[in-house]
Amino acid sequence: MEIAKKILKVKVNGRPYEMLIKPKTTLLQLLRNDLGLTGAKQACMDNSCGACTVIVDKMAVKACSVLALQVNGREVTTVEGLASRDGKLHPLQQTFLDFHAFQCGFCTPGKLMSAKAMLDENLHPNEEDIRRDMEGNLCRCTGYKQYIDAIKAVAQKKEGAK
Amino acid sequence: MTEYSVVGKPLPRVDGIAKLTGQAKYTTDIVLPDMVYAKLLRSPHPHAKIISIDISKAEKLPGVEAVITGKDTFGIRYGFVDTPNYPAEERPLAEDKVRFVGEAVAAVAAVDPDIAEDALDLIEVEYDPLPAVFDPEEAMKDGAPQIHGEITRSTSCAWEDWGVARKSHSYTPVNNVASRVLISYGDIEKGFAEADYIREDRFWSPATSHMAMEPHAIVANYNPFTGKLDVWLNHMAYELKRYWLSKTLGIPIQKIRVHQTYIGGAFGGKAVIFDFEVIAGFLSRKLGRPVKIVLTREEVFSSCRNSIRFDTTVKTGVKKDGTIVAQDVKVIVDAGAYKGSAAVAMFLSHQFSEPCYNRRNVRHEGVAVYTNKNFGFAKRGHGAPQNRFAVDSQIDMICEDLGLDPVEVILKNLRKKGDVLPNGDKLESYGLPKCVQLAADAIDWKQKRGTQRDKNRGVGIGINGMFSGSGYWPFACAAIVRLNHDGTVTLMEGDCEFGQGADTTYSQIAAEELGLPLEDVNLISGDSELCPMNYSNFLSGGMFVGGGAVYYAAYDLRQKMLKVASELLKVGPEDLDMKNRSVFIKARPEKSLTFGEILRYSIQKHLGDPLIGIGYKKAVPEIEFYPSLSKGTGRFTDAYGLAAATAEVEVDRETGRVKVLKICIADDCGYEINPASIYGQMVSQAVMGMGDALLEEVIDEGGRVINPNLVDYEIPRAFDVPEIMVLNGCDYEPKGPFGGKEAGECARAAVIPAIANAIYDAVGVRVHRVPITPEKLLNALKGKEGRR
Repeated sequence: MEIAKKILKVKVNGRPYEMLIKPKTTLLQLLRNDLGLTGAKQACMDNSCGACTVIVDKMAVKACSVLALQVNGREVTTVEGLASRDGKLHPLQQTFLDFHAFQCGFCTPGKLMSAKAMLDENLHPNEEDIRRDMEGNLCRCTGYKQYIDAIKAVAQKKEGAK
Repeated sequence: MTEYSVVGKPLPRVDGIAKLTGQAKYTTDIVLPDMVYAKLLRSPHPHAKIISIDISKAEKLPGVEAVITGKDTFGIRYGFVDTPNYPAEERPLAEDKVRFVGEAVAAVAAVDPDIAEDALDLIEVEYDPLPAVFDPEEAMKDGAPQIHGEITRSTSCAWEDWGVARKSHSYTPVNNVASRVLISYGDIEKGFAEADYIREDRFWSPATSHMAMEPHAIVANYNPFTGKLDVWLNHMAYELKRYWLSKTLGIPIQKIRVHQTYIGGAFGGKAVIFDFEVIAGFLSRKLGRPVKIVLTREEVFSSCRNSIRFDTTVKTGVKKDGTIVAQDVKVIVDAGAYKGSAAVAMFLSHQFSEPCYNRRNVRHEGVAVYTNKNFGFAKRGHGAPQNRFAVDSQIDMICEDLGLDPVEVILKNLRKKGDVLPNGDKLESYGLPKCVQLAADAIDWKQKRGTQRDKNRGVGIGINGMFSGSGYWPFACAAIVRLNHDGTVTLMEGDCEFGQGADTTYSQIAAEELGLPLEDVNLISGDSELCPMNYSNFLSGGMFVGGGAVYYAAYDLRQKMLKVASELLKVGPEDLDMKNRSVFIKARPEKSLTFGEILRYSIQKHLGDPLIGIGYKKAVPEIEFYPSLSKGTGRFTDAYGLAAATAEVEVDRETGRVKVLKICIADDCGYEINPASIYGQMVSQAVMGMGDALLEEVIDEGGRVINPNLVDYEIPRAFDVPEIMVLNGCDYEPKGPFGGKEAGECARAAVIPAIANAIYDAVGVRVHRVPITPEKLLNALKGKEGRR
């Protein structure tokens, strides 16, 4: 039986959308299939790897485990919204680049978004805070070290700038 | 030493912007117009006859476009090992029976993935369960269920296209034996007779998942008008996938194009062709539409290749001072339902030992046995991790027994630079002694070994060696470098970027050789239609073979450019140098030409000649055909990567939990083309090796994988990462590009025994079966080290 579609209003990376979707559509499906934003990745589909992490309002969420309708009226930021439109990288992206903080890159968008949410929330994370916060973002290539160092460097730079 | 301006520098990766902004396209991101989605129905039985399959209900479900079974793909065979004596026996869909839980029995293509999934539930398969066997020793006994009948060749043999003329023949496995290897040299009996001390021990390594973050996926698009098949897939060198797609589907190889995509991790696990890839091509041709298949994580665990299960018995004879005089290794590989790369792994577990110790008298016997379980393939080190865990654990035990220091004993037994191995491979570069010393010093070996048991802390060491490429037929790789109008170059080389950094390091090699900054190298990689032949990516041939081909292509272009410049500047090519985007006279650097001027002159003054460099390389140029795996004879590689690792751990005696405090890896990769990339590869292997030693095992019960997800199958997380030190043990490799060789695989195998030995040093008990979980360690501490 066909279940009636529902209206979703959401802002993604600053752009407003109003659309009809199936109620069971996940946020990840919305982003990847309906909006063509494939930066958030599908790697486990059971909330265990963090590759699909995006930011809803200010909170990092795993997009595979949230229904699109749950973000109705809210603001979603994905990795595609991180750099400015003129091609300038976000400090996290630039530092990840400088630190070789990625390899295959599949989990990188999720890590960047987790890190952004953490740094926006916690102004002075120490290494232990960072490791604990990034616990939900699995990575098989990097061994975690270079990107923990990168996040630490961004945090310290923010501190220095104040 | 020559001062370089591009290689040897930790330059940012050329794939960085794409990967950090979400623009990088992986196979899972590819969407084509009119695309359909396919799902596979997989066997719930470990061993059963298929009585019937009724697809009529599934076919009637609205949105379903096609349903296929083994009847449609009947007779199609493929496999990584496909030799005249051992023809391939894998098939895309089960025909007469299923041999493991997870084997594909039917496939559905539908307009959306949910409909395809729903249609799977409507397929009715009637099975007649057969007795199953899960233990290789049981499987070898008379009267055990026979998993394979006669294995016949129905798809053309991989070797035939390359001129291996021997006729292949069918065979019937006896007692489920899938393959055997027996390698020996010296006089093993005499060796043991001369030994002052002999130990025999047995060790087990389980199947572990590569756990690449991107699940296996393919998009296949067959064009019925041109007969062409375009594919986007997870691979590690497109020639192998393209070859098998061609053979299994009967499509001419040049009509198959593997498109460049980024690959979300591979670690060996994506090199071979899979059931779903053949099925996607088959369905796309049947429908004349693009077909996409993305596997679930559960399918990756239970139906794709994991690492190979090894049961290794090592008998080693030493002199009083620890000098090894004989080693007899017996390997039983629990191959699973199909042979996968079991034969190769058994051989490699021997051959990767060869550059490590001079063991003088050696016997290495392996048997791979079919069982009703998922089957295995290479994982980062292919046979070495399993063997190093066994051998280097035992060296540690021998040292304990004889009161010797493991570092001294290892140093005493190492090969020497310039040694020729029994198979003929020569160690022209050999940084292993330096690596052992560096890794030992970095962990503070002299102070810490054997002195911290009161704190339940200990240190341990392991070593390893690894091919710098060897590969599949025909062991070769080529590259093209084209000079452009604006003085930049375009590099065309087939290796795919799966995280290892090939795109960046290859670009650095071309840039350095041509005196260009990195940004002046435009790269086309990983596309079978745009790039020349490519077989280099697996068996760690990337840098040495693929990078070597790039080096020679850039060198070729350089020579051509110098020749043209010498005509223009009226001096000999030897009087010229190339740097900072220009060619100039060494004695008068102000007399110079831009690359654009050189290209223009070449076209104007000659016959319109563009300037294009070509380069090629083989892992072993002398080899015409494949060497013998079963006897271990013949050359395999021109250079070995080498590594030593040390670890410090702390054990909680109450819980059995091991905390790794520090891992030090010293690696000999010849020359660090990009030191930041090398550092990343080493940290990666330290952490993956830690997972192997302590956490990871694909567990099955009655043939069913019971932990096929990322919650129950634990890998190290950010919080688990210890202090890691990476040390440069490089010894310049004369045949490598700028001296470079293998870096991505070797160290993992050294980390596993380093941690196992550190645990022994900490608490005085040894677990013979990785992963060393709290439960096993507690059991061992209670003095009842259980075998199973």
